[in-house]
Formats: sequence, structure tokens, C-alpha cells
Amino acid sequence: MANVQDGAATRDLPLRGTNADAESFDIVATYHRLLQEDPDLTMPMAAIEALIEFLGHSQVKTVYETIDLVKTQSEKLQAAVRNPIALSHGTDLFSQYLIMSLKQPASSSGSNGAGSKSSPPLDNPHESFEVVRQHLLRNSRLFATRAKNARERIAANGRKHLHDDTTILTMGGSRVVGNMLCRAAAKHDYGWYTDPPRRFRVLYAVDPALQAESNGVVESLRAQGIQVATIPFTALAYAMGQVDQVIVGAEAVTANGGIISSMGTYSLAVLAKASRKPLYVAAEQHKFGKTFPVDNFDFSFDQEVINFYSANNKEDKAKKVPMPDPIDFTPPELIESFFADHKVLTPDEVAKEVIDMLM
Amino acid sequence: MSTEQNGAPAEAAPKPVEAPKDAPKETPKEAATNQNDKASKGSKAGAETKSDKAEQKSSDAAGDKKLTGAELKAKAKAEKAARRAQQKTSKDVAKGEAAVSSSPGQLGPSAGEVKAKGKGKDGALPGATAAGRPTLLKAPPSAVVTEQKIQIPEFFSHLSMARRIPMTQADKDVHPSVLMLGQQMATFTIDESITRLRATLLAFRKVIESYITPPGNVLARHFTPHVLNIQIEYLTACRPMCFSMGNAIRWLKLQVSKIDMDASEEQAKKELCQAIDIFIAERITVADEYITEQGAKHIKNGDVVLAYGRNTLVEKAILYAHSTGTKFSVLVLDDPYERLGQQLAKTLTDEGIMVTYSGDFGGLRNHMRRATKVFFAAEAMFSNGAMYARAGTCDVAMLAHELGKKVIALCETINITERVATDSLTYNEIDPERSSAAAFRLLFDATPDQYISLLVTELGSVQARSAPDLLRKLEEFN
Repeated sequence: MANVQDGAATRDLPLRGTNADAESFDIVATYHRLLQEDPDLTMPMAAIEALIEFLGHSQVKTVYETIDLVKTQSEKLQAAVRNPIALSHGTDLFSQYLIMSLKQPASSSGSNGAGSKSSPPLDNPHESFEVVRQHLLRNSRLFATRAKNARERIAANGRKHLHDDTTILTMGGSRVVGNMLCRAAAKHDYGWYTDPPRRFRVLYAVDPALQAESNGVVESLRAQGIQVATIPFTALAYAMGQVDQVIVGAEAVTANGGIISSMGTYSLAVLAKASRKPLYVAAEQHKFGKTFPVDNFDFSFDQEVINFYSANNKEDKAKKVPMPDPIDFTPPELIESFFADHKVLTPDEVAKEVIDMLM
Repeated sequence: MSTEQNGAPAEAAPKPVEAPKDAPKETPKEAATNQNDKASKGSKAGAETKSDKAEQKSSDAAGDKKLTGAELKAKAKAEKAARRAQQKTSKDVAKGEAAVSSSPGQLGPSAGEVKAKGKGKDGALPGATAAGRPTLLKAPPSAVVTEQKIQIPEFFSHLSMARRIPMTQADKDVHPSVLMLGQQMATFTIDESITRLRATLLAFRKVIESYITPPGNVLARHFTPHVLNIQIEYLTACRPMCFSMGNAIRWLKLQVSKIDMDASEEQAKKELCQAIDIFIAERITVADEYITEQGAKHIKNGDVVLAYGRNTLVEKAILYAHSTGTKFSVLVLDDPYERLGQQLAKTLTDEGIMVTYSGDFGGLRNHMRRATKVFFAAEAMFSNGAMYARAGTCDVAMLAHELGKKVIALCETINITERVATDSLTYNEIDPERSSAAAFRLLFDATPDQYISLLVTELGSVQARSAPDLLRKLEEFN
């Protein structure tokens, strides 16, 4: 790897050109465009795709430069949004992946030059890096498409934990949960055996702030023949007695196995715990990240949801702008387990996986 | 037997303070002599009375020839018993002493004395000959140490204690820089785990620099057993090693053993010194910086941070948070036995941070209600997620947990040990300044993982019970 870097640094003069190229690329705009184009895209995935697009545009020549550029672009992206948690999980995952895949070919070609390929490392560092980079871009695409299929795999993993004649409580318009429930209501072909459809009822707590999304999910569930009842958020504690299990989605999964999700999830989790109903979280593995809030006010940004003012100083109200999509943090103690795309796991296992994967 | 033995020097204890030069020579020996005399007398007396009785019986019966056999038998039995008793007592004494003193250098000589007396019929002579060695070994302060050592109940005999070893007593091969470090550790001038680690590594670096491989040896083979181990032994004798030192020393020995046999001595020494420098930079300096930053991120506007005692990492994190413009106040809760918190309070007020100071745990619940976050720095982290830290930490953490306050622990990964502690007694250290026959104080306690909300390390922020996962991760790096 050292060889690759040294060679590039001494031989490669037109460095400025690549930097100009990197600067002309607007990562923030790309990120928002990607999110708009594809409503099914999650925030971490949009961040990863934006970074891949950026890599495709830039003409980087060295490993170090690539990692460095990805880092600065990630920071730029994170600074541009108010709530960067989910996004940062995506960028962290991508840079980790980058480091790993750039490390391996370089080290293997360094140790035994007569590899399976044409072994260019010592004579032509540019070419070898280019090979790595192209390989990376192709792999990254694969990585992105695979992550997109995650929802289907979550549905397959989660259906084992749904049972006939149960009532499932959910909220928040999560597409992962919606998809999982829809799939569970149909039969599933595992290949070696066909799983019969589950017959369950869904209790949907509707948050007025997420009315549109919630309605969409409720309608698609009813279209699948699932019996759905909607209740207002205020009726959660009241309805809890009728519930067998609670399933929610998450925006991001934290390093301790907690979740960051739309505001209200924490209340739901507390109520579920109080009535001893298991709370399951359906979330893709790429949402796991290093964020570790100790409580709901331990974020790098202020949501400004809580805003005190009296009649005397009404102008104070204008000073604070509540975040449009408020979030809250549900600690791991309240979560029974996670339905992820690779397996079903407990919060502790999530913590372990985050350490193995990202630290 | 052993209790009597323990008692004797304790009575003599006040004397050494007044006349430190005479006392150590006299008292332990005297005690041992008395002890032994008593024991041998007792058993002899018992044997004599028995044999006397047997004789009387035989004379009363008047059948001289008939009873000689029985008489002889009885006599032989009594003599045997006496011998056995004598042997047993002397053995017990030796055993008791050996059990109490973990290091043979301290009490070994007196145990040897006893044995010598047990064998020789005359008590005075062997004692005089044996006296030559102990006087050399027992320099004045050791008398005080002897007294403390003995007074620790046997149940706690596995716990060790820092003690001052006079420089003259140290092995001649101990390097001067290590000698000095040992004194600093024994006097708690260098106290925190990570500062001790840094100082140790720097001292070992000097040892390596001044090391010359004797002819016919190779550095990789000779250095560890003949030089490094002596330094380590001395340091351990001064103060029990902390877990980070154990980890680092294991690493250093590995580095030494990895050195190429064919490499020149200069080259080998240079490589080792470089490795140490990198180790210090990576695992201590940069780690501290990162932990400081990450820890400071958890301090928000309006927070009331509770800090217990003084720890460099916590102090740094608070100062860093202040420097980034966060407005918060600090509640310094001090350890009444070691008021280092005053120093912290001073440093923080000098920087313009609002500080409330509490000298002890009085009104702890009230203070805790006011606090929003509690910051600790771990002396070590056990593999089950328990945190080893200043005694009292667990009490504060438990209360914080009960009141729903978040407990944040800062710790470098070098402090993580693969050992497990479910209580505070398995691994601990006795406060050398506060140990008497009636009571002694421990320096540390173990806080179970459920009372710690967050563990900040240089690898990232994790749950306390993820400590073993971090260890595994570290192994992967190597």
C-alpha cells in the first residue's frame, strides 16, 4: 500500500485537476435528488449512493486520497442536514467498506507479487489502484442493490415471529413494517417448503404529523385483506390491553442496540414495556451505526421541540424552529429483538455487530 | 498459634516509631525466640510428666522385670510425642509466618530462625548466628511494614498493598529510573493507572537504552528474564501493578521476543524504543485526546456534571467541553480519604466554570438530584463490564442509576483486562496509610455494568458490557 501511495505522489502531477472535479460535484444536491427520485430509498442508502456517484465522478489516483475525499464529502453531507444520524450511519458503513476492500487487494499484491492477476503493483501503481477502484465501484453498486432487497429479507425473517389470531400494534408509517405485514399475510415460498399466510389483525396508531404515510400503509394492508383498526395516539395505553405484540420501524439503530425513530416511538415502547408486550424493531443492517446517545437530549443537534414561553415574551416562540421530522431515542432495554435483513437479533447482538463491523 | 505470633510484633509496634534503629533488630527475633521457647517447653513438660507417671507406676507395681517392657514402651511413646509436638510447633510457626508474608524478604529470615532453633536443642546459639542476615535485610522502615502486613486478616491476605522499599534494599540490577519510579508509585505521587503506565513505559525505554547485551547472549533471549523481570519485580513490590501495566508489559515482552535474532543490538534497541514510542502515542496520548473529545460531546448546555474525586481524563473532558463554549456547571464530589477533588475544583474555577464542592458523601442524594450526568474515569474495565475505580464510585453510580441519571465512564482500551470481577474483593488494593488491626480501607471498588450507561474508549462509545468485544477487536488489529 505504501508503494502505491509513494508512486502516485511523486509521479502524479495534475493533482489539482482531480480536486477541482471533486469540488464541482455537489454531494448534498445529489443526496436530496436521490431521495426524491426514489421514495423507497432510506437515508443511509441515499448517502452511500451519493458517495458512490461522487467516486465515479472524481479522478482520484491514490488510496489515501480516496479515503480522504470520501471523508470530507461525508462531513459536508452531514453538515448540510439537521438530523445527520441515519445519514452518518450510511457514510460510516461505506468508508469502512472502502477501507476494507482497498486494504485487501493492496496487501495481498504487496505480499506476493505473483498473484492471479497480471501483477502490476510495483511497476504501475496507477493501474493497480484503478483496478481496485473499478472493482470497488462495481462492488459498491452490488452493495447498493443488495441493500435495497433488504426489505424483502426482513419480511422473510420476521414472519416466523408473527402468529395467527394475534393483534399487532404499529405506528409511524414505516415502509419496512408495512411491507413485512403485507408479506406475512400472503404465503411465502422458502424453496424447501411453503409457509402458509398468517391471519392477524393490525392496530395502527396514527400520528397526525405522519398522517399521509400512515394512511398509505393502512390502505395497502387492508388491500392485502388484513383487518386494520386505526386509533389516535392518545388511545395507545387504552388499546394496549388488546395487543399481543408491537412492531415498529427505525430510522437508525444505535451502537447499544437502541433505536432512533420518529417521535412517539419511545412513548409506545414505554407503554408496551409497562404492559409487558414485546416490542420488535424491523430495520435493515445498514441502519446500524456508531451513534450512542445516553438519553433523548444527547444528540449533536437540538430538535427545539420543547419551547417555553409565556404571554409576556411571545417573541421567544419565534426564536425556536422545531425540527420538521422530530425523532426520539428508544433505549435497548425496551426492545425485545430486531428483525434485520441478515437475521433476527437481540439488542446486545446488535451492539456486538456494530463493534465488529464499524469500530 | 498463628494468632499469638501475629500478636507479638503488634505489641512491639509503637516502639519502632520512637527508636526505629533498635526495634526491628530486636522485636521480631525476641518474639520468635519466646514463642519457640514456650512451645518447646510446653511439649517437653508434657512429655516429662507422662514419663514420670510411667516410672512411678512401674515402681509402685514393684515388678521390675515384668513392667520394664511397658515402661520402655511408654517412655518411647512419650518421647516420640514430645518430638512430634516440638516439630509441629516449629513448623506451624514457620508456616504461619510464611502465609502472612507474601515476600520472603520481609519475614523469611525470622521463619528460618525458628526452624533453626527447633532443630538445635540450645535456643540461644543458632539465634545469634541467624541474626547476622536479618539485620542486614531489615532496614528501619520495614518494621512498620511488617506490622501492617501481619495485621491484615487472613481472609484478605490475597490483597496487596503498596509499600516503600528503601532504595538500598532493591536489587542491584534495578535501573535508577525504575528505582525512582518505584518510590513515586509507593508514595502515590504517580497514582492514576494511565500515568503509571506511561511512566513505566518511559522508564523501561531508558532501561532498554542503557542495556548492553552480555557477550554470548542475544537481546531477545537475555533481556526479558535477566533485566526486564527484575525491574518489573521491583515495581510490583513497590505497588501492585495496575491492569494497564500488566497489559503493556505483556505487549513489551512480546515485542522483545519478536526481535530478529540476527539483528544488531543497536538496531534491536532502536526498534524497541520506537515501538514503545508508538505504543505510548497510540494507546495513551491520542487515545486520551479522542476520549476527551467524545466525552465532552455528552456535556450539553445546562447540564450539571457530577465528578467524583479527580481524574485527568474527566478533568480534560470537562475543560474541553467548556472550551467549546458549552454552558454547564460542575458538582465536584470528593473522596474524604483523599481530597483530590479540591484540586479539580480549583482548576475548573480558574477556567471560569461554576463548581459546587462537596467534601464527602453527606447529602449525596440531594447533590445527585441536582446533577444531570455523572462522569467517571475507570482505573480498569473487567471483561464482564464491571468498572474498577476509586472506592466509592459504585455507591455514586448506583445512586445515579436509581435517580435515572446517566453515568458516563471514560477509559482507554489499554485498561481493559480479560479478567472478571463480580465483587470488589477479588481484585483490590489496601490503602497503606489506613490499615490497622481493627480495620483497613480498600482503594478501589468494582461497579457492575448495569450502573454504567456509556463507556467511552478510543475505539468508540459502547456499553460497559461490550468491553470484551473491544478486547477481541484489539486482538484482531494485532
